[in-house]
Amino acid sequence: MRLRWRHLVDYFIWIIIAIASAIAFYMAWSIGANDVANSMATAVGAKAITFKQAVIIAGILNFLGAVLIGPHVAETIKGKIVNTETIEPNILLIGFIASLLAAAIWVTLSTWKEMPISTTHSIIGALMGFGIVAGGFSSVNWGKIGSVAASWVLSPIFGCILAFIVFKIIVKLIFSKEEPVKSARIIGPAIIGVTAFIITSSLLLKTSLSETYTISDFNGIIVAIITSIIVGFIGIFLLRKIKAKKEEDYFTVENIFRKLQIVTSCYVAFSQGANDVANAIGPVAAIVPLAETGMMSTSTPIPTTLLALGGIGIAFGCLTWGKRVMKTVGSRITSLTNTRGFSVDFGAATTVLVASKLGLPISTSHTVVGAVIGVGLARGLEAIDLSVIKRIIISWIFTLPIAAGTCIIIFYILRMIVG
Amino acid sequence: MIEEKDHFRAPLSDTFRRKTPFSQLVEHMCKVSEGINILGEGIIKYYKADYKDFSDLAKKVSQIEHEADIIKGNIRNHLPSSLLMPVDKGKFLWALREQDAILDHAENLSEMLDMRHTKIPKELQKLFIEHAELVMKTVKAMEEAVCNIKDLVETGFVKREREQTKEYIHNVHDFEYKADQKRYEVTKGIYKLEKKLSPMDVYHLIKIADWVDEVADHAENVADWLRSMIAK
Repeated sequence: MRLRWRHLVDYFIWIIIAIASAIAFYMAWSIGANDVANSMATAVGAKAITFKQAVIIAGILNFLGAVLIGPHVAETIKGKIVNTETIEPNILLIGFIASLLAAAIWVTLSTWKEMPISTTHSIIGALMGFGIVAGGFSSVNWGKIGSVAASWVLSPIFGCILAFIVFKIIVKLIFSKEEPVKSARIIGPAIIGVTAFIITSSLLLKTSLSETYTISDFNGIIVAIITSIIVGFIGIFLLRKIKAKKEEDYFTVENIFRKLQIVTSCYVAFSQGANDVANAIGPVAAIVPLAETGMMSTSTPIPTTLLALGGIGIAFGCLTWGKRVMKTVGSRITSLTNTRGFSVDFGAATTVLVASKLGLPISTSHTVVGAVIGVGLARGLEAIDLSVIKRIIISWIFTLPIAAGTCIIIFYILRMIVG
Repeated sequence: MIEEKDHFRAPLSDTFRRKTPFSQLVEHMCKVSEGINILGEGIIKYYKADYKDFSDLAKKVSQIEHEADIIKGNIRNHLPSSLLMPVDKGKFLWALREQDAILDHAENLSEMLDMRHTKIPKELQKLFIEHAELVMKTVKAMEEAVCNIKDLVETGFVKREREQTKEYIHNVHDFEYKADQKRYEVTKGIYKLEKKLSPMDVYHLIKIADWVDEVADHAENVADWLRSMIAK
């Protein structure tokens, strides 16, 4: 049996990987078409960028985020949900493919039914199901699943709190001042400076980039601080010419934030790429070393080509289906003006990026909804329909068991076919 | 309500409504001010005993009232309990209700005026016209207060804008008070002439004065609900 399997592996493993990659590409496409469009729509709805620009920004920055920060989360999905040491390599191979397939099916079905599910939750649920049947309950890393599940609840709350704070800052330091436009010219770039700090430090702390160039954490922080100050001053310099037309010129304030929102929408796209690429390529990354060495190894780094494949898949999804989604969602959320969109973008993107650095796979679109509610709680929006929370919670409850169940069925079918 | 499905998952779009309640409130208010403007112009002509085209006017006011009712119904039907608003939903609905009552009264008034053309005695003509003008000003002031809500929401309810709205609300009270005083004079004037006038005329003149004044009362109620809506 064992011999026969090795034989099969020699001939077919690359075909299997190609199939897995194709499913992964489809998952990436789905993320690009739905989740990215959904989060970038804040900028489109606030008319900070056109939907064509949004597609380009989303494509490029999702790709960069995927390649540069992506490995953190991909590691979690690849090797930390299921204890790969206790399961035979051939079973693992089938299992990872089954979970990819199961997640893809559930994602497609719920997208068709317009349920606000998350690709992240689907893939984790599917992996859980495969772990249970392949190695029993003990082979699933329940501690990790617990912390990941906790992060699903916490990330929208965190996004909500951050967006609330940023919007309150905008109200207190800009709108309630005597000359709102003058304050906006300083406060806006200052928040962009903070954004620059977060992005730079996420790029320089504990990443492949910092290892290649041997940048210590301390130096990384210093570089990040300098970058943020430079970015802040560039912003102040660029906005210096904008003058208020009248005393209560809220329109000009919104215009300033329209410019600043270009930066935050890049921030959203970058963070999203960092977190979401793992949903697509995590399982594939797990089976690549199987093909190369015949052994499962959690220590082998994720090949950049795979991350790039995921990034391209997301970008492709944006370009094809995402365009339409972005237009539709953008036209529905026009009450989200630039200052609001800015707060939402900042709150959501920061949450997603921090989670990515911690290796936590979270749902970006749920975090964006959390951030919108944060602005609403800060009395920044005329009306928010909170019933969306109920729908999201229902999707939380259903996604895990359904994805797990589907994965178990596919796993048994595949095992019957293979032998 | 069945909506056409677009086949994508975007919880963000489920969070928003196509029309926001405040913009609809302002839309409703535009109808109110349209109706009151037509009635205002017409009633002054009426006071001057020019009854030509008054039937058309009454029909027009009635039509506007109907349109406003549709907007009102729309707002009410789309305020589920799951909707988060920056102000108290109950107070918002009361403001809307009072705003709608202005038009209801305008409609009743124009119909009543159309049913019987009551001649205003020469001595009282000036007072009647002044009273109507004050009522119109009350509604106009209320309109300003309602419109300022937009700035309030835009700034996230900062103190400065709240003070400004309060000032507008104060203006409403001011005009309403003046209108009340004027009505007192009008009523006194009518009783003074009671010997000269037929009982039916007295009855009708008093009713006209009362009903015109009621428009201002409802405008004041809108302002009051607005005031409690924006309270901290």
